[in-house]
Amino acid sequence: MSETLLEVRNLKTWFETPKGTVKAVDGVDLTLNRGEILGLVGESGSGKSITGFSLLGLVDPPGKVVEGSILFKGEDLRAASNKRLQALRGDRIAMIFQDPMMTLNPVLRIGTQMIETVRAHANVSKAEARAMARDALGMVGIPRPEERIDAYPHEFSGGMRQRVAIAIALLHKPDLIIADEPTTALDVTIQSQILSEVQKLTREMGMGLIWISHDLGVVAELAQNVAVMYAGRIVERGTVDQVLDTPMHPYTRGLIDSLPMENDRGQPLKQIPGNAPPPLGRPEGCPFRPRCGFATDACLSEPSETGDLSRGWRCFHPLAQEVTA
Amino acid sequence: MNQPLIKVDTVTKHFVRKTDVAERIAIRAGLAEEPKIVHALDEVSLEIAKGEVVGLVGESGCGKSTLGRVVAGMLPVTAGSVARDGQDIATLKGRAAKANRLATQIIFQDPMSSLNPRKKVGEIIGEAPRLHGIVPRGEVPALVEKLMGQVGLDPAMVNRYPHQFSGGQRQRIGIARALAVNPDFLVCDESIAALDVSIQAQVINLLVQLKKDLGLTLLFISHDLSVVRYISDRVVIMYLGRVVESAPTDQIFDRPRHPYTQALLEEIPRIDRRGHRFNTVKGEIPSPVNPPKGCHFHPRCPFAMDICRQERPPLVTAETGHTVACHLNAGTGQLPATTEQQTQQGVTQ
Repeated sequence: MSETLLEVRNLKTWFETPKGTVKAVDGVDLTLNRGEILGLVGESGSGKSITGFSLLGLVDPPGKVVEGSILFKGEDLRAASNKRLQALRGDRIAMIFQDPMMTLNPVLRIGTQMIETVRAHANVSKAEARAMARDALGMVGIPRPEERIDAYPHEFSGGMRQRVAIAIALLHKPDLIIADEPTTALDVTIQSQILSEVQKLTREMGMGLIWISHDLGVVAELAQNVAVMYAGRIVERGTVDQVLDTPMHPYTRGLIDSLPMENDRGQPLKQIPGNAPPPLGRPEGCPFRPRCGFATDACLSEPSETGDLSRGWRCFHPLAQEVTA
Repeated sequence: MNQPLIKVDTVTKHFVRKTDVAERIAIRAGLAEEPKIVHALDEVSLEIAKGEVVGLVGESGCGKSTLGRVVAGMLPVTAGSVARDGQDIATLKGRAAKANRLATQIIFQDPMSSLNPRKKVGEIIGEAPRLHGIVPRGEVPALVEKLMGQVGLDPAMVNRYPHQFSGGQRQRIGIARALAVNPDFLVCDESIAALDVSIQAQVINLLVQLKKDLGLTLLFISHDLSVVRYISDRVVIMYLGRVVESAPTDQIFDRPRHPYTQALLEEIPRIDRRGHRFNTVKGEIPSPVNPPKGCHFHPRCPFAMDICRQERPPLVTAETGHTVACHLNAGTGQLPATTEQQTQQGVTQ
């Protein structure tokens, strides 16, 4: 099960603005295998969503992928034509957004939208497409799919709408799904239902999933591997156990420590001082330097990545020497 | 025990859409339906002691924000009463009513929509103390400076506009504005939900510090259980307009009695749980327009019995300080022996 699905090397997505170049994504490497769930974690403005959009060629001007390669099953997506990308999107690669209302057309019945998606990529009759749509709705746990397929998006609750969006993503049994904060707007019990479906589906269908989130808890429970982004770069990566149990980057450590745990009551929470740097005023060298307790003059130059694509970090002062098992 | 600072007594709050003349005539004539009633709060009772931090937890639409606004006197009640220091706040008039409104302040979720973008920070924080004559006019700038220092903002930034601040700093402005009128009770309505993790911790620490320094009482409304656990002395769980359980923080987390509380605790994602197989509560949250009969949780409850479908369970004291509204075990709810086994299974799988 270690067939490589996606290989991203040195991806740079920059936005040219009148005030200067915003380097939203600035040299990201990623590898994803079939059946793997990768959690891409970061705070607002870290570039995690733009990374997701870049993979699908969905970055709008003034944003542009300026450098790097995106190999999907060996095919370079950066060199692919718009037509080819259109053929891949919704078929082999699907995306799920945070707000399902962004995906769904409010004035069309969901059946109509789903049939359209099916027929965009497969040469089937309307009746067959409808049957496929119905099956997909059933698969994501929508009760009475036969009736609900004729409902409009506003007739669904938030959780159900997100299920519809997931069903649309699954229509063509894609090889890769990119999910951008799909459960952030949902309630805990509903989030848990969606996570359970997603987990089951990736296991059964063997697809790869990139789960973009700011919630370390969700990623810990769902993913096998995790990459932490800060200011446009991946600053640490590894298995969930490695990154959360023995974080090497002070930023990762800071994120974990700032979550309130049961034993913390009565003591102040450990906080990361300061704010994330503005996209146009990133400090020279390590972007985390101004907030970091370990920073020295060495950090004035840019740290390169230590380790490899399965376990690595960008820091001159890693927290602990990792115990290699 | 002393008199509670806030006593919410069987408060019901309904929202009904206003009808116009034409619609009312149509309803009379049987051509249109009566507008639907949203049962936001359904006979909710709650006491908050002076100096206490009460965490109010629930999912969207459970009425937690409505309760916060009712407690703060921003919304009138449909039935029941809210008393402060033993005085029904609805009966207060004139100066007493004003004093009461000033003494309770709300900090909202989204600082960007609660701060006037056209006003400088100094004006935002200084407006209320100036209008209400909290300090003489000439001393307002000094007060603003003191408040900004108190919430960890550089007083040199007094002439900036809200958009020039980051999310965490904006929330600090909201806190400073609330504190400007010397309240003793703060309602924090999802005040940290919109902030990044690393910023959340800064604001939580600030709230805890202020509570200690100023002797504040807090009603902390949130859907984030780990934050609530950290900050609260007591936790109140709401579901669809009703309080289902209330207990001291440690007790409710160690021995939750209501099946809904148990499900909620089980399903908060935790970073110490890996490759978890999610064990979910079935079903949707029903609509508060048409809540189910009997116990509101029964359609999703794995232990539902006949009585749960018919009768509303009363809020009963199961042990000292621990109340629960559940028909199981003669109205004392069920301790989570089974939940623990499930958790273990979930981890070992």
